[in-house]
Amino acid sequence: MMITFGCIREEDITLEQRMHQLTNQLMCPVCDAQTIDGSNAQISQDMRAKVRELLQEGKSNSEIKDYFVLRYGEDILAAPKGIGFNLLAWIMPIFIVLGGISIAFLALKNMRRSNTQATLIGTPKQHELSKYLKQVDTDLGIHEDKNSEDYNPNNQSVDEIKS
Amino acid sequence: MAELGTMALLIGLGVTTYSLLGSVIGVKIGLPELIVSSRRALYMSILSASVASTTLIAAFVQNEFAIKYVADHSNTIMDRAYVWVAFYSGNEGSLLYIVLILSIISAISVRFAPKQLARSMPWTIAILAGVQLFYFFVLSFFANPFELLETVPAEGRGINPLLTHPGMFSHPPLLMGGLIAITIPFAFSSGALLAGNYGDDWVNVARISAILSWAVLGTGMLLGAWWAYTILGWGGYWAWDPIENVALMPWLVMTAFAHSIMVQKRRGMFRMWNVALLNIAFVLAQLGMFINRGGPVVSVHSFASSTLGMIFLGFMMFALIFAFTLFLWRMPHLKSDRAMESFLSREASFLVNNFLFLAVMGITLWGVLFPLFSDLARDVSVSVSAPYFNRANGPVLLGIVVMMGVGPLLPWRKASSRSLRQWFIWPTAVGILTILVLLGLGVKRPVAIFSFGVIAFVAFAILEEWARGTMARHRNGENWAKAWWKLVNGNRPRHGGYIVHISILMLGLGIIGTNFYQQRTDGALEIGQSLVLDNYRIEYVDNGDSSRPDRIAKWAEISVYNIDVNSYATEKSAAKAQGSTGFTLNDSTRRPGDRLISQINPWHGFYLDFNMASVRSGIRSTIIEDLYVIPRDFLPDGRVSLAVSINPLAWWLWAAGPIFILGTMVALWPQAADRPNTQVRRRMIRESDI
Repeated sequence: MMITFGCIREEDITLEQRMHQLTNQLMCPVCDAQTIDGSNAQISQDMRAKVRELLQEGKSNSEIKDYFVLRYGEDILAAPKGIGFNLLAWIMPIFIVLGGISIAFLALKNMRRSNTQATLIGTPKQHELSKYLKQVDTDLGIHEDKNSEDYNPNNQSVDEIKS
Repeated sequence: MAELGTMALLIGLGVTTYSLLGSVIGVKIGLPELIVSSRRALYMSILSASVASTTLIAAFVQNEFAIKYVADHSNTIMDRAYVWVAFYSGNEGSLLYIVLILSIISAISVRFAPKQLARSMPWTIAILAGVQLFYFFVLSFFANPFELLETVPAEGRGINPLLTHPGMFSHPPLLMGGLIAITIPFAFSSGALLAGNYGDDWVNVARISAILSWAVLGTGMLLGAWWAYTILGWGGYWAWDPIENVALMPWLVMTAFAHSIMVQKRRGMFRMWNVALLNIAFVLAQLGMFINRGGPVVSVHSFASSTLGMIFLGFMMFALIFAFTLFLWRMPHLKSDRAMESFLSREASFLVNNFLFLAVMGITLWGVLFPLFSDLARDVSVSVSAPYFNRANGPVLLGIVVMMGVGPLLPWRKASSRSLRQWFIWPTAVGILTILVLLGLGVKRPVAIFSFGVIAFVAFAILEEWARGTMARHRNGENWAKAWWKLVNGNRPRHGGYIVHISILMLGLGIIGTNFYQQRTDGALEIGQSLVLDNYRIEYVDNGDSSRPDRIAKWAEISVYNIDVNSYATEKSAAKAQGSTGFTLNDSTRRPGDRLISQINPWHGFYLDFNMASVRSGIRSTIIEDLYVIPRDFLPDGRVSLAVSINPLAWWLWAAGPIFILGTMVALWPQAADRPNTQVRRRMIRESDI
């Protein structure tokens, strides 16, 4: 927690900070895949100055972005706007995450159902062995606790867990 | 000299072809001698690749500008140490470097492969030889580094100035090495499938080689970030640029694999899934090669761009079809030994984490490809850059960090509600407490505060486990240090993993700090003037010249003062009224509370032949925050134009690197499996679980 002292700042979103936010969202038209914030090209310097000027005129962030889109085309924005065809860019991640989670969930469910019996067959044998395994653990000085495969958190007998 | 190099490449092409065909035919007609000689032929490719590489390096050392590649990537003025960098700084040389690494690691992994894999080794060798064959083929006919110029220039063009940084000795080689090393685990898993060897014999060797490649790739990316931070002069370290993304994607998949392979190793589950992950990672690594060399998307990293796009695209498609046809063909044999017992188990949490990793990979891939879709679908070009990826991937990445705390707290098989309470209560409490304290301290930005809470939760979960394990041992009479050491040693993959988790948490701190709390200002200073940003004052004291025939370069001498903000209250409120965060001072007399804390020398150079600027930032770093000064330009009127920022927690990004490597080493250090009692115990557990 101590180290977060650098993150305590008075909350002053000055025009200058807004300018840096904006320059990170506008691409440099003559560079390869760089924002005007990162690029030192002449046009980027001019665009940065323009952003500042527009901010001082009191324009909103989206008005300023529209200003540049009008002059340079849609690819001046570092991230496409979520409207029209470009909505796809934003919707797809949601589908990917939801799809992934539901596949994982179905796989889990499937793996659980597939052979519940298989686990039961092993149990008596394990029950016989568990004392012995504990002895080995003590001999080795190992208490792997919950990591060991026969971990039994509640000290219930194995039969209880099974039921 | 050039002839020797070309010859070596052609011999490499010959021996790998022989190795590939010999292995396959040897198995099909049952001729052991042919199989053995094919294996030896694979070893021979090291000789070809190293002769070719040595020849190229020798050509650089001797300034053989008759060779086009040497003339394009070096000159006589450059620092001689950068000959090594020049070797892989262009398309042809980097391909040669890749095949050199691949030939060496192929031979090592074949030589030391476990005996149980004897039946699948010919197939593994065939795959390794096949991949090498492709690179030798491209090198011989499409990207020959030994191509000669008709007229020999007196002086070379020189190395790309952005590459003259110490980080370049290790960043590109590690990155390329890590990407190509994914071939090894892929060759073992696919070799086993081709041979019909459905057991788990390949698991150990695939796990070790996969984690090695993953660690090398991860270290390479981190070094690249560090390089960008110190030299590129845009003040960031990760831009979500296409080239960065194509290295990140296989790394994410391999991270998923590093987790899920443990489930197969310990529980005999997830067999299909693990093979699928290796397939995806391998195909993504080929996608990386494709995008890197003449791919269809624009990137700042156009160091190795070429017109070989179609060839690499072809190879990627071939890899994709081969890997998944094989997978679908053998899928019925890859059933799990056991069923999933509970949603609340480590197996289940690993499955969830795997899907989250794949989700980040999928979103990143979508972001990389979306501009292409947009072009094709409606003929409008769009850009997809950092703001998109931060917003789309950020929440999923945070979810992964949450799982990093949850997963290890869950036992294998099944958790009881009591153990859940017992293990979760403290980490959760610490996480919530952190959030409350940060709110109390006046930290802003809810998303960041929540993320800090998550980090505290995960960190405490790891500490809790170490504490409990150590205490249990301590009660048995071991001293604390020995108890902890034995705990870690008792299960290295697990505790090495925890150390890696800690490094990821440190990365997380840095990412949150720099993304949410950065403060910036710009200004142009004359000598004697100062710029004030928050509690720092930087004074432009003097400048120096370090120009050479190929560049105009200057550095600024800057004194950094820690100031008492109250001494500057008037100027500050005036600046604020104008909408600026920082402000310039004309006189630099010290005021009460000023304390000189550092001298920095940011440097700015312009390379004439390349028409390209190169920058070295001045950084004053502490574990709390960096003061970061970029010299944008030395203006004709004598002023220096500076971009100054305060980057909270940036130090943690770089500190994470050594911890990451340490954790990987612990996880990979051969487990003392040979100790008979451990082995007996293992076997008993395994049998008891059938």
